[in-house]
Amino acid sequence: MPAIFTVDPRSGIPLYLQLIEQVKRAVALGTLDSGEQLPTVKALALDLTINPNTVARAYRDLEREGVIETSPGRGSFIRSNGATGESRRAVTDVAAAALDDAVREARNLGLPSAEVETLFKRALGRWFSAREEA
Amino acid sequence: MTLTTISVHDLTKRYGSFEAVSHLTLDVEPGSICGLLGPNGAGKTTAFKCILGLARPTAGSIAIEGAPVTPKTFETTAYVPERNVLHEWMTVGEHVELNRRSNPKHDPKRADELLATFKLDRRKKVKRLSKGQKTALMLILALSIRPRILVLDEPSSGLDPIFQRVVLDLMIDAAAGGATILFSSHQIGQVERAADRVAILKQGRLVLDGTVDELKGSQKIVEAIFEDSVPSLNGLAADARILRVERVGRVYRAYVREGGDEIARRLDALGPKSVSVLDLNLEDIFLNAVADAKSPEDTI
Repeated sequence: MPAIFTVDPRSGIPLYLQLIEQVKRAVALGTLDSGEQLPTVKALALDLTINPNTVARAYRDLEREGVIETSPGRGSFIRSNGATGESRRAVTDVAAAALDDAVREARNLGLPSAEVETLFKRALGRWFSAREEA
Repeated sequence: MTLTTISVHDLTKRYGSFEAVSHLTLDVEPGSICGLLGPNGAGKTTAFKCILGLARPTAGSIAIEGAPVTPKTFETTAYVPERNVLHEWMTVGEHVELNRRSNPKHDPKRADELLATFKLDRRKKVKRLSKGQKTALMLILALSIRPRILVLDEPSSGLDPIFQRVVLDLMIDAAAGGATILFSSHQIGQVERAADRVAILKQGRLVLDGTVDELKGSQKIVEAIFEDSVPSLNGLAADARILRVERVGRVYRAYVREGGDEIARRLDALGPKSVSVLDLNLEDIFLNAVADAKSPEDTI
């Protein structure tokens, strides 16, 4: 299992929510395929150096939301269907939060909204045209 | 119903007229990791000693898995004191052997694994070990009995960052195996990662207690950025919900307990360029909890 998850313990977002979001993101990006096995609670807790109860809680919530399924003795797996809609929504949420932070920071630094819009369009042009050329 | 693993009820410990621990009540649930934070002299070590029956409480009661502490408690409970309790003239191997003879739960294979993890030579005399190696040896002895309950008083003291991480890994490994852990630390980052629950002591009293997520959710920073300088705030900081304020340049920051949105609105009325409500990390929360009362100049 490659190290696909990272968490930031200093963030105000609870670690189990960070982990849930990361699993959904990995599913949406195809880093985790349906049917793929997740690390055990202990392995992931050691890998991320976080409390095993935090990992267990994230897995329980992911199971309730239908993103993963856990069979006793075998482990936790990405569910073959039903997970994609939820995961795509999670990706939109992550992107929205990142954009929100960037815009707030620009305002805090004292830029007027017109200038922020110019910067936003420049960034949009840079990243999206680069993608098209590639 | 499961029994609370460590239950401390209204514990007070006085040395003469000095009250080291005052009315401490704390429950550590099975399989959880509880981190005890506090400045030096806050009473953490005294609390641990009382919990383990090494100091007699002046008042209050303590139970481990529902029963008073007896010598038998130590077959399943391991304690790593902050102070070095090793014998200087004995070797590492002799300590391990002493541990094997005195505790029926001692697992020689586990001891070997741990000696290898910490790269400790059995033949070395304790007086030749560094401070960090002594800490490591005490941890090895504690973990060799595969304890159900671990009480660690600053388990990382004297260790370099690599071995600090090893200690954290060992705690996580033990917890994943079902052990219950109570530990104190000055490494707030460790507590933030590993603990389910955090208890903060100040001058012998419990000043804050909750899950890491609860504590982080209970406080916010309201940050206002002003055009030129921070104006007179009309006694805003006298608001009891504001724990502490900071002003740096054009930025005013209020650390608030609840009511963050309302305080943000009041600040907004003073015409700043922007107002935001931000999250805190555990270190900020700790500093707020142990800080002295707000100084009068904050209330302008």
